[in-house]
Amino acid sequence: MKRPASFSIKQIALAFIIGLLVLVGLIGSFAAYQTRAVTHSLKLQSVNAAQSELEAAVQRLLSQTEEQAVKLARWDETRQQLVLPEYYTYWRDQRVYESGMLDSRYVRAALYNQSGMLLASGPAKTSLPARLPASLQPHQNSSWLVNETGAVALYHAFPVYSGEQRQTLLGHGLIRVDFMPALLREETFHFTDSSNVSLALKPGETLVASDLFSRLSFSARPDPDQLLFQTILSRTLIALFVLLAATALFGFVAYNRLLARPLGRLSQDIDAMQQGRFNPSPSRSQSIRISELENIRRSLYDYQLQLREMHGSLEHQNREFHTQARQDTLTGCHNRRAYEEDWERFRQESKTAPQGVAFLLFDCDRFKTINDTYGHAKGDRVLSIIADALVMALRANDRLYRIGGDEFATFLSRTTPAQAKQVAQRCQSLIDAAGFGDLGIIEPVGLSIGIAFCAADQLEHVDELPKQADIAMYTAKQPGRTRIALYGEDTERASQTLVASRETSALFQALATPGMIEMHYQAIHALPGRQVDYYEALARIRYHGNLIQPEAFLPVVSSRRLETEFDLAVLNQVDTDLSSGQLPTGCGISINLSAQSISHPEIVSQLLELSRHNARHPLMLEITETSLITQMVEVSTYLDLLRTVNYRIAMDDFGTGYSPLRYLVDLPVDVVKFDISLVNKLGQDNRAGQVVADFARMMSEVGYSLVAEGVETEAVLRKVESLGIAHAQGYLLGRPIPLAELAASLAAEGVEATCNI
Amino acid sequence: MRLYLFCLLILVFPAAAHAVIAQQEMRPAIPANADYLIGEPGKPAVLLLHGFLQTRDFSTVSTLARGLQDTGYTVLAPTLSLNIPNRTQSLACEAVHKHSLDDDVAEIGRWVSWLKSHGHRSIVLVGHSFGSLQLLAYLSLKPDAAVKGYIGISLIEAQIGTAVRPALIAQLEGRVLNKQRMLVNQPLSFCRKYPSTPEGLLSYARWDQARLLAALKQSPVSARLIMGDRDSMMEHDWLKALEHVQTPMVIVKGANHFMDGAHEFDLLESTLKFLEDIQPASTR
Repeated sequence: MKRPASFSIKQIALAFIIGLLVLVGLIGSFAAYQTRAVTHSLKLQSVNAAQSELEAAVQRLLSQTEEQAVKLARWDETRQQLVLPEYYTYWRDQRVYESGMLDSRYVRAALYNQSGMLLASGPAKTSLPARLPASLQPHQNSSWLVNETGAVALYHAFPVYSGEQRQTLLGHGLIRVDFMPALLREETFHFTDSSNVSLALKPGETLVASDLFSRLSFSARPDPDQLLFQTILSRTLIALFVLLAATALFGFVAYNRLLARPLGRLSQDIDAMQQGRFNPSPSRSQSIRISELENIRRSLYDYQLQLREMHGSLEHQNREFHTQARQDTLTGCHNRRAYEEDWERFRQESKTAPQGVAFLLFDCDRFKTINDTYGHAKGDRVLSIIADALVMALRANDRLYRIGGDEFATFLSRTTPAQAKQVAQRCQSLIDAAGFGDLGIIEPVGLSIGIAFCAADQLEHVDELPKQADIAMYTAKQPGRTRIALYGEDTERASQTLVASRETSALFQALATPGMIEMHYQAIHALPGRQVDYYEALARIRYHGNLIQPEAFLPVVSSRRLETEFDLAVLNQVDTDLSSGQLPTGCGISINLSAQSISHPEIVSQLLELSRHNARHPLMLEITETSLITQMVEVSTYLDLLRTVNYRIAMDDFGTGYSPLRYLVDLPVDVVKFDISLVNKLGQDNRAGQVVADFARMMSEVGYSLVAEGVETEAVLRKVESLGIAHAQGYLLGRPIPLAELAASLAAEGVEATCNI
Repeated sequence: MRLYLFCLLILVFPAAAHAVIAQQEMRPAIPANADYLIGEPGKPAVLLLHGFLQTRDFSTVSTLARGLQDTGYTVLAPTLSLNIPNRTQSLACEAVHKHSLDDDVAEIGRWVSWLKSHGHRSIVLVGHSFGSLQLLAYLSLKPDAAVKGYIGISLIEAQIGTAVRPALIAQLEGRVLNKQRMLVNQPLSFCRKYPSTPEGLLSYARWDQARLLAALKQSPVSARLIMGDRDSMMEHDWLKALEHVQTPMVIVKGANHFMDGAHEFDLLESTLKFLEDIQPASTR
């Protein structure tokens, strides 16, 4: 049998009261049992007393009868009647009563002569024996009882003498007593029930008086004191039980009201507290009359209130933490965690409630350069301004998320591509109007925005929106773009989606797998002879048999900040190519290197290792300046070091980017490669073409060796040649080709086709 | 201790030795007894008789008997049997009275004879109340010669209440003649109810004042009377009537019928005085 784990205080109180009542009942039963025993003892005593009383009464009756007999025997008139019985009946019927010898009509007297014969018969109803029993001794008293037709008579015979000397027997006297009436009338019984006294004597049977007690039956009279005692005791017990029951009931009610119910309420409150349902309503705040419980209640309520306050504070803090955990501390907008959560929810909601949704991805152009140039404090400030501007530009319910260093995102619901573009344009307008000049930043701070849209009927593609926006954003970053690109509309290739994804995968795989980066070599021709002076090594990624072009993966390199890793991979591949000996001796190789990589020891170490090929293949490093060089002195030092191992330093893409003049002044640059945008200006017969031409002439005059990139027409080539630019490259002169193809081409052309250097 | 017991025996023994119960059968199966108080020789014996239905133990009689014995007189105090064997108790008025004055007189005669048989030649009859009447009745017959004197104390006639005596006597005589044995319940003396045989009642009823005075006057022996002037039992002019018969009479001042209290001494003194007067003539 399984025992209950715990009991309620009400059950305990009930059990206690029931136990108390049972105990009282047991005590009452014991008292009743004892009372019954006492009663039995008293009854026994009563019976004994009744027996003693009855025996005494009988004895008194016998004695009284005997006394009467003695008196009669001594009475002169008795003797007179025995001698002169003429007036015996007068004596018998009158004198014995008048004289007081017999005091009761229940007693009759008769006289017998010496022969025992009755002097004269009496009345019929009280007939006395005509003759004394023969067994009667002449000189002795004798008593006996006879049942005479239902009535028991007591007879007492006695001798009567002539004188006190008892010498002459005159005769006999006989007293007849109606036994029962005399016994019961004469006696006042206290213990004997007179109505139940009887003598077991058959009709006509004679009983000697000495055997009387053996035939006497009786019952004790109920003792009124005993009955009163029993009644009082019973009433007392009942009253005690009722009183105790009432007291127990009252105690239970009081206990319930004062203790159990408050404790129950406290217990319920505690349970409610544990379940977080505590409600300190006024009804529950009623005071408890037990001071200790009241103290507990107050303490509990105070504690609970404090707990609630603490809980509220914790909730507030949690909300704060939650907010903070989802808020970008720098810009105040939501962070990446919030983005991920909201995007997941937004994505699910969009699927359940079809609507047009748009995903906007923002990226600050050249933020890394700004950050490196003006310091992180100003970079942070720029980001704050951008965030503020974007928040202002977005709709009221739209959220802005900072998902990367300078990348922000938002997703718009119930929108159209046109509305999304409007939002993007508003964002750009506010960014353009922002006062970055107040921060001392003179470079333009731009924002590239990629937009991906999903119509209500194409929500199964909503998961691809971030990727599409990413592609669109890189599309927007491409030079010449309006910096806002809508995926599918502005991206030229419809399959860009897959490509972008493939390029990223290909890039990371290429960085991890040597050989996947394939170097294509584009010839750089010396002017005006147009012979190949050296080749520029241009990286391609061979991925699943397809060749991925730089414009596809370089933005990924830039966005992922993989410049150093990528440059190392390129240097390794160039080292491999050069080590393969496929290029004829004397062919110089120009290697593109980002400005950030120059300051990395791994790059410098790799360059120093690569410099061993300088004997057979003069090496030139083309420093791209699409990003700002912040550690100018350190870069200059490394470049000087590299120059000592015969590297030539070229400034790539001159005419675009940040501070090419400053680079020319501060860096040890040997060659300046004019960007295709500048070279194209040479073909124009206007002031811009004149400026570029004059600038190129001036550069040549101060000793820089100039290279014109992107020469695609004869007119441009002639112009380049006329300006005295030393080298030119472009599709007009030759497209980049793989090493094997280059080697094969060179082998086919013979010795004349060897490099000019 | 032994000396004390000896003295006590000396004091008690004489009295005990001089008091005996005398008994004789008056009629068949009816014995009677008397106290026989032996006095000094030479002094007349006194036959002291109790009053109506009383016994010798009646205080007036017993006191007087002891007084007389103390002064040296032999006293015989019988209890009339009243036809009751060895009667010891005063007979109740309501009892069956089967005795008669004749029976009483006969018993007195027998006790006189008994005294004589015991050597007393001088006997003085002393009776109280009705006993005085019974003694006079005895004297009115042929008294024994040994009877020398008569002292009647509180002498009273046989009172019959309000009944007319002649009529009563006639009625009783009729009953006797007709042998009607039914008890007659007629007041007698101090008894309001007195169930008696007709002849018994008749024997008493005949002794009215006149017969009593006559008997007194004709007494054959020296007669003396001691009466109390406060005796409520006697008739109004009884004392005067007694004075007329010129019988020596002492009237004890303040004494009632029973001469009790302090009058017991007056009674004894008067009795002794009369006995002394009678004594010279008596011999034993």
